[in-house]
Amino acid sequence: MSRTETNDGAAIPAAATSTRGWQELWLKEDWWAIWLGLGIVIVALLLFANGSSIRWIAVTPAKWSTVAQLGAHFAGNWERYVAQFVLWLAVFSLALGALGHKPREFVPAFVFLYLLSIVIIAIGQWDKANTYNLEPPLVALVVGLLLSNLIGLPRWLDAGFRVEFYIKLGIVLLGATLPFTLILWAGPVAIAQASIVSIVTFAVIYFVAVRLGLDRRLAATLGAGGAVCGVSASIAIAGAVGAKKEDAPIAITLVIGWAIVMIFVLPLMAQALHLSAGVGGAWIGTSEFADAAGIAAAQTYGDLAAHGAVAGNSDQALAAFTLMKVVGRDVWIGIWAFVLAFVATTRWERNELGRRAYAAEIWWRFPKFVLGFLVASLLITVVTSGYSLAAYNKAVNPALVAPIKDLRTWAFIFCFLSIGLTTRVRDLAHAGRKPFLAFTSGVAVNVVLGFVLSAVVFAAHWDNLAR
Amino acid sequence: MTREREACCGSCDHFRNDPAYLEAVLNGLTGMGSGYAATRADDGLCLRHDRFTGPRGSCRDYRGDGRAEKRMR
Repeated sequence: MSRTETNDGAAIPAAATSTRGWQELWLKEDWWAIWLGLGIVIVALLLFANGSSIRWIAVTPAKWSTVAQLGAHFAGNWERYVAQFVLWLAVFSLALGALGHKPREFVPAFVFLYLLSIVIIAIGQWDKANTYNLEPPLVALVVGLLLSNLIGLPRWLDAGFRVEFYIKLGIVLLGATLPFTLILWAGPVAIAQASIVSIVTFAVIYFVAVRLGLDRRLAATLGAGGAVCGVSASIAIAGAVGAKKEDAPIAITLVIGWAIVMIFVLPLMAQALHLSAGVGGAWIGTSEFADAAGIAAAQTYGDLAAHGAVAGNSDQALAAFTLMKVVGRDVWIGIWAFVLAFVATTRWERNELGRRAYAAEIWWRFPKFVLGFLVASLLITVVTSGYSLAAYNKAVNPALVAPIKDLRTWAFIFCFLSIGLTTRVRDLAHAGRKPFLAFTSGVAVNVVLGFVLSAVVFAAHWDNLAR
Repeated sequence: MTREREACCGSCDHFRNDPAYLEAVLNGLTGMGSGYAATRADDGLCLRHDRFTGPRGSCRDYRGDGRAEKRMR
């Protein structure tokens, strides 16, 4: 493909690219998250079936109370970290190379990201970490934001800070740690609750925005960002309704701003309201705006449960969040896009750009990584279904599930750091007062409604999740 | 392939949907999103109208002869 240069030197393609059909399998990061995530799960299953495990390479810093202990851990396990680093580097290079990223930019960026991730996870394993609220997701986010906004990093390093790719990989791996029966049991309630909140939140943002005099396409782009799946939804709906070029960056600014605020606020509020891990996770899943930010908040709340600061266990928060956000909200983006495209092309702007709504959009825009999440869950559930609880805890968990969970932790930390490292406040578009008011109206309604549904209407359901 | 099918946004010189390009021009996109996500499908920007659109749209400003503006606006 021939390329030309923009005024600031960025390459722009001279022709459009297409990912329709089979090409999507290697040109979309959703599919690469599936290939890598399911690849890890299948290798883990094969080794487990042969009496072995991926545990050796799924190393993470151990609990420590003195620096000497931490040093001894690294001295005794450095080969495992080197092997793990090489593994991540190899598979990420393959995936990102296929997507078009340059290895000479990705490799140094990932070296930096991996070393920083070791530090972040090690901080979280300090036995006093909880005393000082040093939860790894929050530490990663703050460190990333400080580095990118106060010190500044070369922009080409962004090649290794792939927020969405890492979170999708982490969610596929998360599927391997959730029983498929749990998804079937809790999924319908998650879908019902998420649908109520999504429709109400979208309606509030849309109608407030229109009432304030904003263009309907910007209103829809803002509404989807607040109601469905954050930045991804804003981009999808911007395309579906033919939004102006400047509309999506406005929505992106508001989604990122509120999502970062909610990473800190929602776990704090949930703890102050004495919500259990499952209920808190469901509320976060209902009221966070992006998968990456939501996982950061849910994992923070799960860590609080692990330390006894809230009732329940750490897995409940992540499970409830994922069911609510991924199964309940994300998968419906195609339907939102189709419906809004239909409205836009039949009522708002007939034939302006010769566009029309296609039912196939429901599949085109489906967040495919969710399929990996479901398949990973199904695979592990089928393989482990013959074990008693005692045998599962003794043999299956330490050799199969726990190492996958540890690799998932790495993927999430890569993501949390990347959020901060790629969020440059000065680069974000100026949102303006009216879009801010419209979006914030939706945030207020969303948070209250999400709380009522999670902590009152469906409280028993979420409280008992994965107990 | 019919003329109508060829003359769509996907083959127009004004249309840009390369994910790296979209990430470069849409501030903040990589912070909690991605140009490479399945949810974007093949949507991109029409530089003639400064609008988001999919590759299947079309309009009277279609230009497929290579003379369209190639520089980012």
